[in-house]
Amino acid sequence: MPLKFRLGKDVKGGLSYQDYIYLKRIVQAFRLHRFDQREFARKGEDYLFNFVNKNVGPVDEKRRKFLQGILVGVSAALVAGIIPGLRVLVPPVEAISGFPKTLIVDSSGNPIKASTLPVNSPIIMLFSYPLKDEINFLLNLGDKDGKPVEIPATTVIVPQTGDKYQFPGGVGPNKSIVAYSAICQHLGCEPPYIHFYPPKYVNTAQISAPEPDALTAEAVLAAQKENLPGIIHCDCHGSTYDPYHGAAVLTGPTVRPLPAVILEWDSSTDYLYATGYVGVGVYPTGSNGVPSKDPSSDLEESQFGVSVGNKSSISESNPFS
Amino acid sequence: MFERVKNWFKERINMDDLPFFRTPDYMYHVGDWLGALVAGAFFYTVISGLILLLYYNPEAGYEATQTIINKVPYGSVVLYSHLYGAYAMIILAYIHMFRNYFVGAYKKPRELVWILGVLMLAITLGTSFLGYSLIGDVLATSAVDVGAGILSSMGLGFLVPIFFGNYSAGDYARVLGLHIIFVALIGLLFIVHFFLADVQYGMMPSRKVKDKVPAVYPKAQWTKFNPWWPRNFIYMMSLVFLTWGFILIVPNLLVYLNGLPQIANPFLNPKPAPPPNSPAAASVTTYPPWFFLFLYKIADFPATLTENIVIGVFIPLIYLLIVPFIDRTDELHPLKRKLFTWIGVVMIVFLIQTSLWGDLAPGVPVTWSQVFEAYLPPAIISAVGIWLIPPPSKANYKALVNPLTMLGFVTITIMFVGSVFEIMVSPSLSSVVLVGLFASAFVTLGKLLSPYITRTESGSVEKASISGNESKLIIKKNIAEILMIVLMIIAIVIAANMWTIPTTGYFSNLFGVDLGILFVIIGEEFSLYHYIVYKKPVEPEE
Repeated sequence: MPLKFRLGKDVKGGLSYQDYIYLKRIVQAFRLHRFDQREFARKGEDYLFNFVNKNVGPVDEKRRKFLQGILVGVSAALVAGIIPGLRVLVPPVEAISGFPKTLIVDSSGNPIKASTLPVNSPIIMLFSYPLKDEINFLLNLGDKDGKPVEIPATTVIVPQTGDKYQFPGGVGPNKSIVAYSAICQHLGCEPPYIHFYPPKYVNTAQISAPEPDALTAEAVLAAQKENLPGIIHCDCHGSTYDPYHGAAVLTGPTVRPLPAVILEWDSSTDYLYATGYVGVGVYPTGSNGVPSKDPSSDLEESQFGVSVGNKSSISESNPFS
Repeated sequence: MFERVKNWFKERINMDDLPFFRTPDYMYHVGDWLGALVAGAFFYTVISGLILLLYYNPEAGYEATQTIINKVPYGSVVLYSHLYGAYAMIILAYIHMFRNYFVGAYKKPRELVWILGVLMLAITLGTSFLGYSLIGDVLATSAVDVGAGILSSMGLGFLVPIFFGNYSAGDYARVLGLHIIFVALIGLLFIVHFFLADVQYGMMPSRKVKDKVPAVYPKAQWTKFNPWWPRNFIYMMSLVFLTWGFILIVPNLLVYLNGLPQIANPFLNPKPAPPPNSPAAASVTTYPPWFFLFLYKIADFPATLTENIVIGVFIPLIYLLIVPFIDRTDELHPLKRKLFTWIGVVMIVFLIQTSLWGDLAPGVPVTWSQVFEAYLPPAIISAVGIWLIPPPSKANYKALVNPLTMLGFVTITIMFVGSVFEIMVSPSLSSVVLVGLFASAFVTLGKLLSPYITRTESGSVEKASISGNESKLIIKKNIAEILMIVLMIIAIVIAANMWTIPTTGYFSNLFGVDLGILFVIIGEEFSLYHYIVYKKPVEPEE
């Protein structure tokens, strides 16, 4: 772009920028490299040309531009080559294509024996399945007298959509052992806020109990109405689930039942295995309220989880003081 | 448009006016830029290390390493080149150091630059050891055992938890933390080192310009040299990119080289060994990383461990730290400082020799007679050699500075000595041929390195050839320009190919090779551009 200047009314073109730079360099060279005026007087323009050639650069601007263009081109190729390499910043996706068969063990690594599992225990027994951050209750349900009760297969309704799915029922010697997701479907609260209330805690006295063991009056009422010995209740906002019927919704605000772990009991060893999930996806994956017919689709969405593998250990804690 | 962007930056950054050393024409030579190579390797290793930091888990070091290699997209490319970036940095730091040792760059006024440099080398070795330990394979864990053992046997056992924390329990958090802290320390010292070398004293002039201490250009003189921008910058870019290219190409090619013999493994195998508690670990002969093989062998010497370490590590280290204060003459030529030149040669020979010995016979105890057999001959031969070469007369000599020639000379010397031993132990036709071969190589190289007595420099000859030089240079520059175009086409093809390489698995390392080639190409392009635009027919040493 040539420099322009105004002269009276006319606009006159002046030096181009490159010429200007070149001139500036020559002037600079005069200062830095001792331009010998006497020599110049003697040899004339030959000396000047040689001087400029030596100290300012023999390469003309056009050629220099072309070479710079090549440098820019190669740099662009380098950047283009690096771009696919930026995938190094994307962490690898750990998607598992199906549910693993996972043995449930205690904290010291010994398998849990189904027949020794305490009935109506107030202690929260949690194990991870199928991914390490997806926790589940393990419950051995009983009646008011603490005797194990058989949990039948039921059809569970999802109030949000009206969809239905089949809960397979309890396992173990008395068919009383069940496992449900321990992540509340309302807003994702986790234990100790959500947990199982054994029969002796399902009463009006519990309404005034401190968190995380309080019950809403609505929950107590619903339990009495359905004649349920125990309930799963979330102390965050009062959602209540019916563990005796596939963790179906008993009171709101939740609009989805807790997803259930499909358990398998090996009668010869008395060991318990987790083999899959039924119901809606674990919160918030299942927030559309549609039970997943293909349970592995849930897994693929939990991209960054890590599979628990073939063993998952129980952790225990008691919310009731 | 491009011009305007360039000028925008130019105006803002004022790169012409940076206070860095302005370089005379004759210094665009890799021997004068070895520090830039070390710095280039350092920056590459830092960048790749930061990427690895996103994935590394110090509580499960070995598993995390395996995940990075097998699952992270191009994780193995980054990990292996991180390792080789560190290797390159160590090798280049040694070359940089010994080059400056032989040219006497540690002398007044550069004592502090030298001391900082030696400290940086020591910290670099420590950092590399810690980084190597982070892999958690059987070699790393045994190296940590040996390292901890050496520390405890020297009565420095209290340092073991400080350096390694709860390493044996599989918690590498402290090693990782120290690895990063040491790198930060290197970076900090680098700034001072660079500032002193490039701004305070400037680069060391050629011996033709200054052959006596203090070898500095007065500031008034060097402000007339080429400014930092753009010539220095372009030259530096070419060196840095070439360094990066080789750091990427070499390990990613070595991945495809299988079944290396055990002795090659410490030098050439970028892959981790099996974990320490696996059955496969039992069949692995343990050795430390190659840059500590010398230390591993010194520990096999018959004296107590403490004495060995003091002789093998502390005395050389302290010597290097105080050499500016021992060598107080104002001579710079290596042959006018024969004692110090000899010590330098012996240090290089011993370092290489002990490392190779540690590689061939790791952990095998040696006797004093074996030690003397191994170390006396090269010491005596190099002493005799150096004392026999006459110091240069002032007018005519050929510089001895090229570090690669120097290393080559040392290697040839060792080979020559080895072949003499061979003929003494088992005289045969082949050993005679071998001696003849190495002897002639030794003589030829020694002649090359010794002063040129027969060749005289006459001004008239040089003047007459200027015009011839000029026309030759124009042809060469035209060839260089064509080469630049060809390289650009190759670069585009390679860049396109890189989009098709799988992110993990067997072929993923080709990405590293391709990226390395691209870096070499761009480094070469910068170098050719520098040649075409700035190369003058005659570059006098002013």
